[in-house]
Amino acid sequence: MIALKDLHIGYKQSVASCRDLIIPEGEVSVLIGKNGSGKSTLLKSITGEIPLLKGDILIDGKSISSFTRKELPFAVAFVPAHFPLVDFLRVEEYIALGRSPHTSFLGRLSPKDKNEVRIAAKSLGIDHLLHRFTSELSDGEKQLSSIARAIVQESKCILLDEPTAFLDYSNKVRVHEALKEIAKKLNKTILLSSHDIDLSLEIAESFIVINNASKEISQLINPTKQEILAQAFEIE
Amino acid sequence: MIVSTQHKWILLGIVILLPILAWIHLTAGIISIETGTIFDAIFSYDDNNTLHVITREIRIPRMTMAIIAGAGLSIAGLLMQTLFNNPLAGPYVLGINSGASLFVAFSIMTGIPFLTSDLGIVTNALIGAFIFGLIIVLFSELIRSQISLLLVGLMLGSFTSAIVSMLQTVSGAEELKVFTLWALGSLMRVDSAQLPLIVLIFSIGLAMTFLLVKPLNVLVMGQKQAQLMGIHYRRVRILIIFVTALLTGLITAFCGPIAFVGLAVPNLLKLLMKTQNHGVLLIAAALFGAAFVLACDIIIQLMENSFMVPINVFTSIIGAPIVVLLVLRRLR
Repeated sequence: MIALKDLHIGYKQSVASCRDLIIPEGEVSVLIGKNGSGKSTLLKSITGEIPLLKGDILIDGKSISSFTRKELPFAVAFVPAHFPLVDFLRVEEYIALGRSPHTSFLGRLSPKDKNEVRIAAKSLGIDHLLHRFTSELSDGEKQLSSIARAIVQESKCILLDEPTAFLDYSNKVRVHEALKEIAKKLNKTILLSSHDIDLSLEIAESFIVINNASKEISQLINPTKQEILAQAFEIE
Repeated sequence: MIVSTQHKWILLGIVILLPILAWIHLTAGIISIETGTIFDAIFSYDDNNTLHVITREIRIPRMTMAIIAGAGLSIAGLLMQTLFNNPLAGPYVLGINSGASLFVAFSIMTGIPFLTSDLGIVTNALIGAFIFGLIIVLFSELIRSQISLLLVGLMLGSFTSAIVSMLQTVSGAEELKVFTLWALGSLMRVDSAQLPLIVLIFSIGLAMTFLLVKPLNVLVMGQKQAQLMGIHYRRVRILIIFVTALLTGLITAFCGPIAFVGLAVPNLLKLLMKTQNHGVLLIAAALFGAAFVLACDIIIQLMENSFMVPINVFTSIIGAPIVVLLVLRRLR
């Protein structure tokens, strides 16, 4: 569970703000807003990459500023919009990197770590790709590998920056369905930013919307598409 | 990370190959020395026997330097490539050698006795390499493009050689001679008395790289993601630059600038082993790099009858085409 408390986010000037709202666990919440409205800024604020201007963000009741460097990976996993461009990185190795907060000083993988990698890959239907190089994957397969990496990290929350932006329709559905199942099965708090309102409505009930004009972050539960459009873009 | 059986076979292959190459290296050369004589020189040394003296004072130091230079520069190259997320990075192209060269030039040309001693030259080379490493880090914060960072490295190199040329015009004949010989690059300048210091510094650098295995693996995902995975990025970055400067500075101080080993060997290894597991890659870089420079120096020894080729010239002749091929492969 992520709680935003009387929050102002931004770099030097406030980009967006909100009163108290709660992003629930066990389900997917979708972050909607125009380009440049502060979606990425909010995600980066939750991961602690950008300091907060005002207010607080709590993960399971604990302020993100109080997490140490070593504790942070157990609270939040982040899936960036762009996949790292690296040669000779096998899917198996890449997903296993998500275990690094759990491994010892030299980073050796225990049988449990290796098993977690296999289970996560299997649950996303990419276990046949484990020995392939990440550079050979399709965009959808890359995204699923990144999600698997976030799963094996075993963090309380997973944040995703536009995970479906570069995917075709069937892969969008696949990624969405996978995320919904993970949230439910592993009782995780999942927040993803998206421009696909129609598809998001099929998997999420909680919508975090950043208003285009007022820069106010608000939450809509079980909204209609019209309500989201009205709130985010002031389109009637 | 995952270590496959294929990796184990490749590592085993290099482990077997390395002593064979080392042995060929010891016996190759203009004066032929029998295997038995080499054993005697090591275990029952007789300082009246010329062949024993040659083995101890020339052949063994030269072989050791070939191994250290190959292993050290390859590790330094691998560290730079991962830190800057740039397969074409290396201590030479990023100008870290140049830093060592510049400071060695200063220390030789001043003619101050302490600075021209071994310890003085090594210390200066290490300081120079570290400072230039920090300059590259500073630029890497300002520049996003991989190619631009390489250009900055090359400019550092040109700038340094210009300053060195200016120093040469004002220095005395003796200092000029010492420096010119140094700048040619050679594995033959080290004697047996200097070896313990060199092996000690090299071992420290080597040991430190194994502290870096896990951070290096995580850095493959990029700086931001590594930080979210609990890596103390700034600390790791300084440690990487420090180890790189230690290895590059040491080798540059005693062998002069050696180009392309740090760039070519790690890339060839990644092509061969197809992994980003730095536990395996670091060991392989040390072994394969040592084997590479030993092999280069064996060829140089075999040609010594007809003409002398400095090691830096030879590694450039082999390394430069390899790098061009790598660039072509990436652009395709």
